[in-house]
Amino acid sequence: MKVTVLQENLSRGVNIVSRAVSPRSTLPVLGNILMATDDGRLRLSATNLEMGITCWIAARIEGEGSTTVPARTLSDLVNTLPVDNVQLNLDARTQNLNVRCGTTNADIKCIDAQDFPPMPSIDLDGAVQLNVAEFKEMIQQVTFAASTDEARPVLMGVLLTVDKDNVTMAAADGFRLSVRKATLATHTQRPFNLIIPARALNELARVATEGEEPVYMAVPKGRNQVIFRYKDVEVTSQLIDGSFPDYQQIIPRSFKSRTLVSTAALVKACKQAEIFAREGMNVARLDIRQAKGEMQPSEVEISAVSEETGKNETIVEATVDGTGLLIAFNVKFLREALEVIRTPNVVLETSAPNAPGVVKPVGDDSFLHVIMPMHV
Amino acid sequence: MTIRVLSPDVASQISAGEVIERPASVVKELVENALDAGARSISITIQDAGKRLIEVADDGSGIPAEELELSVTRHATSKLVEAHELFQITSLGFRGEALASIASVSRLSLTSRVEQGKTAARLKVDGGKTGKVESTGAPRGTVVNVQDLFYNVPARLKFLKSDSTERRVIDSLVTRYALAYPNVRIKFSVDSTVTLQTTGDGDRRSILSALYGAESATQMLDVLAEETSMKLYGFISPLSLTRSNRRDIAFFVNGRWIQDIPLSTALVQAYHTLLMVGRYPLASLFLEIAPEQVDVNVHPAKAEIRFREPDKVFSFVQRAARRALLAYSPVPQVSQPNWGQTWSQTDPGWILAHPEDHPLDRAPQVPNSYPAASPSGVQVTGSNLAQSEFAQIPLLRLIGQVGATYLVAEGPDGLYLIDQHAAHERILFEKIIDQHASSKVASQVLLAPVVLDLSGSQASLLQENLEVLGQLGFVIEEFGPASFQIRAVPVIFNSSNASAAIRAVVEDFEEDETPLKSEIELRLAGRVCKGMAVKAGQVLSIEEQKNLLSNLEACRSPRTCPHGRPTMIHLSVDLLEKQFGRRGPR
Repeated sequence: MKVTVLQENLSRGVNIVSRAVSPRSTLPVLGNILMATDDGRLRLSATNLEMGITCWIAARIEGEGSTTVPARTLSDLVNTLPVDNVQLNLDARTQNLNVRCGTTNADIKCIDAQDFPPMPSIDLDGAVQLNVAEFKEMIQQVTFAASTDEARPVLMGVLLTVDKDNVTMAAADGFRLSVRKATLATHTQRPFNLIIPARALNELARVATEGEEPVYMAVPKGRNQVIFRYKDVEVTSQLIDGSFPDYQQIIPRSFKSRTLVSTAALVKACKQAEIFAREGMNVARLDIRQAKGEMQPSEVEISAVSEETGKNETIVEATVDGTGLLIAFNVKFLREALEVIRTPNVVLETSAPNAPGVVKPVGDDSFLHVIMPMHV
Repeated sequence: MTIRVLSPDVASQISAGEVIERPASVVKELVENALDAGARSISITIQDAGKRLIEVADDGSGIPAEELELSVTRHATSKLVEAHELFQITSLGFRGEALASIASVSRLSLTSRVEQGKTAARLKVDGGKTGKVESTGAPRGTVVNVQDLFYNVPARLKFLKSDSTERRVIDSLVTRYALAYPNVRIKFSVDSTVTLQTTGDGDRRSILSALYGAESATQMLDVLAEETSMKLYGFISPLSLTRSNRRDIAFFVNGRWIQDIPLSTALVQAYHTLLMVGRYPLASLFLEIAPEQVDVNVHPAKAEIRFREPDKVFSFVQRAARRALLAYSPVPQVSQPNWGQTWSQTDPGWILAHPEDHPLDRAPQVPNSYPAASPSGVQVTGSNLAQSEFAQIPLLRLIGQVGATYLVAEGPDGLYLIDQHAAHERILFEKIIDQHASSKVASQVLLAPVVLDLSGSQASLLQENLEVLGQLGFVIEEFGPASFQIRAVPVIFNSSNASAAIRAVVEDFEEDETPLKSEIELRLAGRVCKGMAVKAGQVLSIEEQKNLLSNLEACRSPRTCPHGRPTMIHLSVDLLEKQFGRRGPR
């Protein structure tokens, strides 16, 4: 293999695929990045067997070939090279990769590419097309609610449902549920649903910078995998087996009290409450109060108490429809939900101190978040 | 296939299998018989790990010649007449199965003479076929000679472990009985070498060294506690002496060696937060309890027993052990072999202190030839005891900080080195535990209720304790006969699996512990560690150091951090004097 690439391209590619390298594996080749000439470009791939990332970069190819390069060594070296042409020259017999750039000359010991697990490639036929900006927002609004507890692997994933021209993402741990819907540009013939590890989606969101090109999603038959393609990057992930809980049942159908507040004001009040709540059990109380008189506003008082540090109360102006209520939430959960809402106002629907609360952006019915209360 | 009644041969081999599973079981049954016969001296001989020969000779009451034949038939015993006596058993055996079982799987010869008998009588049984009683000469007592064990049960023979394993099992069994009956002279020979010989003078400590090795034996702490109808005595290891498994925890209930998991759990609980995770104490504990309080007739080999009031017994054991531990347990001593080079390999005391260097056969004589190499261990505990009854540390005068990691302080009995991180962890841990105890319970409602299926006994246990769980912050509803629906969990558990949390609680109920105490402590300890405590390498001002010391003095168990590592090391005045040659090494 003999290729020449630009340092900035190589650096970008290595940094993207490095996210999938498994640094502590019993298989040494998983700590390496596959480097292969591929149809006039240089292909870089890394995988930890759960998730894989492939990135193609522009290259001038003088000799075909492939090898796997230790990821740490390669990325540390490439990131310090000057912005110039980098010549990569592999001695196939010794698996020695010579890296030459400016005045730098390095030899890296590599492992034969045959040892590297095969990476599936996307088949754009029948792939679902998604809008980058919207898809990124969906991921951000949903993945934080996924569980980190390995005891229930299904909840560590995000349920992605495609039906006709609708796509829905849902994630839940034991205490909250986030659901985001979107419309597809193209119509899908066959509805399907997948449980994708939250981690893989987060990596995808990192790779997919805003732009006009769509994200393609394909599910190769019988492989229990999903592949995403954005521009010159492909992210492959194993799917999680199992059945996701029927979250539709969890979403309350009615409410007794509807509280409309400014999103920013409520986020700020939650952050303040969290300063005191984090010492204890993360409990914040929301006292939803109706207007006392004609001319007075209704309001929500958010308060937290800590044995150690003290206590605080913040009053946020609100429009309350229905009865007043005193309800307690894990303030971290509430804050995380509010922070992904883009609209200036938000609505909190509640029924009773022991019944779930629903957070919705005002004027946008594509997102909703269910959060379970706490008993104190 | 037609149904047939098994032939007596087959039936007896099957039931022998329950009692006699390995050579050690033979030794156990025969030694217990000898003890029941009131022997003052017992001699045990084995060859080929007991496969070729097991001989147990005693000077007990013996078996009259006319009863010899009866003694090897099944369910023949002199120890029990009426069924109701089963609940007041004071002898070790009572089932009347041992001799018959052994006889059915070996070539057995039984020689016995009673006090009044003119001659002894001998009976041979070959694989269950009883021979004729012959007259012969022998001293008072009984000699049981078991040859070619399992010769007619090749399957059993095949499943025996290696010779050295079987020998070790027998060895530890004999040693434990020697420990339980210090007034009986016990001689144990393996392939014509005497490996254990006790004097029968009632001194348990000298036998202890045969069991644990001389060095460990001298460190073992005495336990003695009495309550109405119960008495516990024996030895437990100090915090500095641990094993990675529970195999060295032995319980004797009314002189019988039993393997009871709840009992050893009770003991391990006494060490809770004092030992590192995965380390277990050593113990030989003797529980005396009114015979009607236990049911020994649960297991053919009598390795398991039931207590009438298990909770009472377990908490008694735990309290007794904890008290002994806190009262005696000193700050870990700097062990002499590690301190300076003066204790070289040539020092005989040092060599003796290593159990692997001296075979068991010399062990019983060790107390005479080996004037307690680490007297400080015992003496210092005594002097500590005088100052404070429990684990409180003495008043310390701060000297300074070493390596930005350890505090140096002087106490009335020498020098103390204190690990600042471990000490601060202990202080914070106790503070958080107190806070947690006084704070209100908060519980987090689950998005979807979790259904939990339990076994029948666990379900009824949970049902009885639903109220207690409610106070802890669980909201649980019954959901069918042995199913429950968890609606909310305490906040401290909100990052984990709800059903796992409930299972942990049920296990706590089963083991009679304060529910979730250990789980909660574990979580709190984890939080303390997450950077709240001062780190090693952090320079502290004099004021901070003084404050740390005085806070540590106020702790309930200041000697260990919440993970069981020691917070301090003690160099006694005694040790310093020896190291500087002001006094002789011993």
